[in-house]
Amino acid sequence: MTINYLIETRALTRRFGSQRAVDDLNLLVPAAGVYGFLGPNGAGKTTAIRMLLGLIRPNAGEVRLFGQSLNGNHRSLMRRVGALVEAPSLYPHLTGRENLEVTRRLLGSDRNLIELALATVKLTKDADRRVREYSLGMRQRLGLALALLNNPDLLILDEPTNGLDPAGIHEMRDLIRRLPDEFGVTVFLSSHLLGEVEQIATHIGIIHEGSLLFQGTLAELQSKQQTQLTFGVKQLDAATEFLMNTGWRVQRCDDLLNVSTKAPDDAVRINKLLVDRGLDVFHLAVSQRSLEDIFLSLTNGRPS
Amino acid sequence: MSLFRALHAELLKLKRTLAFRVVFVLPLLIAVLQFFVILRTKKYAPGFNLWQTHPTNSFQIWAVFMMPLLIALVTALLNGIEHSDKQWKHLFALPVPRYAVYFAKLMVAQGLILTSTLVLAVVTAIVGLAGMYLRPELANAGPVPYVWLAKQVAFIWLASWLIIAIHTWISMRWSGFPIALGAGIGGTFFALFAASAALGKYYPWLLPMNIFVEGRFATALLLGIGGGIVAALLGCFEFTRRDVN
Repeated sequence: MTINYLIETRALTRRFGSQRAVDDLNLLVPAAGVYGFLGPNGAGKTTAIRMLLGLIRPNAGEVRLFGQSLNGNHRSLMRRVGALVEAPSLYPHLTGRENLEVTRRLLGSDRNLIELALATVKLTKDADRRVREYSLGMRQRLGLALALLNNPDLLILDEPTNGLDPAGIHEMRDLIRRLPDEFGVTVFLSSHLLGEVEQIATHIGIIHEGSLLFQGTLAELQSKQQTQLTFGVKQLDAATEFLMNTGWRVQRCDDLLNVSTKAPDDAVRINKLLVDRGLDVFHLAVSQRSLEDIFLSLTNGRPS
Repeated sequence: MSLFRALHAELLKLKRTLAFRVVFVLPLLIAVLQFFVILRTKKYAPGFNLWQTHPTNSFQIWAVFMMPLLIALVTALLNGIEHSDKQWKHLFALPVPRYAVYFAKLMVAQGLILTSTLVLAVVTAIVGLAGMYLRPELANAGPVPYVWLAKQVAFIWLASWLIIAIHTWISMRWSGFPIALGAGIGGTFFALFAASAALGKYYPWLLPMNIFVEGRFATALLLGIGGGIVAALLGCFEFTRRDVN
């Protein structure tokens, strides 16, 4: 089966001096859903996004959107793309509606799309206020409305919740979550916050120091989650030998035994095995390696 | 079509901007100055014709001093609104050719300078008529030389194309207001020295003034238009290949 990728990068590389901001990046973003492009600050997310939009040129590699190379097809491809890169670019002396009208005129799109975009981001009531009077959250929503003006198939959002207060983050997150279903748009969203991406993304790519460390569905990332079972057993040596002989991954830690497994239910099975063997179990704890641990261990933020 | 759309968008951006207001304010300053000059001149020689000196004086002050500064100010303001909120990245991510964005900016700057020069011609005529009314010895100056005024507006404006193209590129290339204004002030300042030099004939910031200098008219017009077109094409070439950070 052939999978149609909306975004496909092939060995995409961008250097600034001797520093490789993006190194051999091979993104595969399928149609539909939300792709979370995750990485710590300075990982190369914004540089990659700028190359996806043709704002900067790669030193090597290729960007393909909708199956076509961006090189030489920028205008026709950008007709199907809406973008919000970092803070929204707005004219503070104009009203929200006038800001949309500027972009609408440039795009030559239908006037009705302005009202639709305003309604989508819930700014209809404040549309005739000057943007300099807008809060950060309102500015961000107006930026999103600008990105929706050409009725895009692909929406590229770079850190859309940056600088927002918790209420603003919640509002923006809800808005982004609705977009694929209501407008049939695929969202490519960058963030340095795993919690944010985890809540809305169907696919995830993790970038660190310019390189892609993981790419796949959220379920695939979650499958990397491991459960650690900790047993306290009176006959420690016998228990260790028994579990290792029966194929479990066992580690001794002081007077306790750590068993790594993917199924939390294994706690019951192992406990029963030990008891049936006549070993005295006096302690049992179950702990799970969270997605955050996985993310941090992948990006060297902190060992899990 | 893209250029027309970009131009249409640029016109909306002008709303409530200083760039739009300054276009009307600066010619008025010259008009006020000229009005008091006419009123305070103690004695006019017999047969003095107001229309032979007053409009030329206004246009010369405009061409050598006010217009180059206005060009620097207007282009800095027009492009400053794109630099201030990093608008370039939004504009360049749209399916709009970069040349259309560039030439729309250039054409709006040219339009504003033309408007300002036209305003100067109108207020110059009004000030002249007011002078004729307030100073009876000037009353026999005859009708307003509308055709001459219109021609001077066109010549000065065409000769300014090169400065407009240079300043459009500078203000698009660098975000700092001081750089754009510094170039304008520097260019105008050196024009004072270049005016008497033979090479002053080719100095961009002197071209509008050279319209009034004997023997320099044709060069001013040709260099203004030709140089303006070449500078605009070079600026556009650089602009379309620029990375946006």
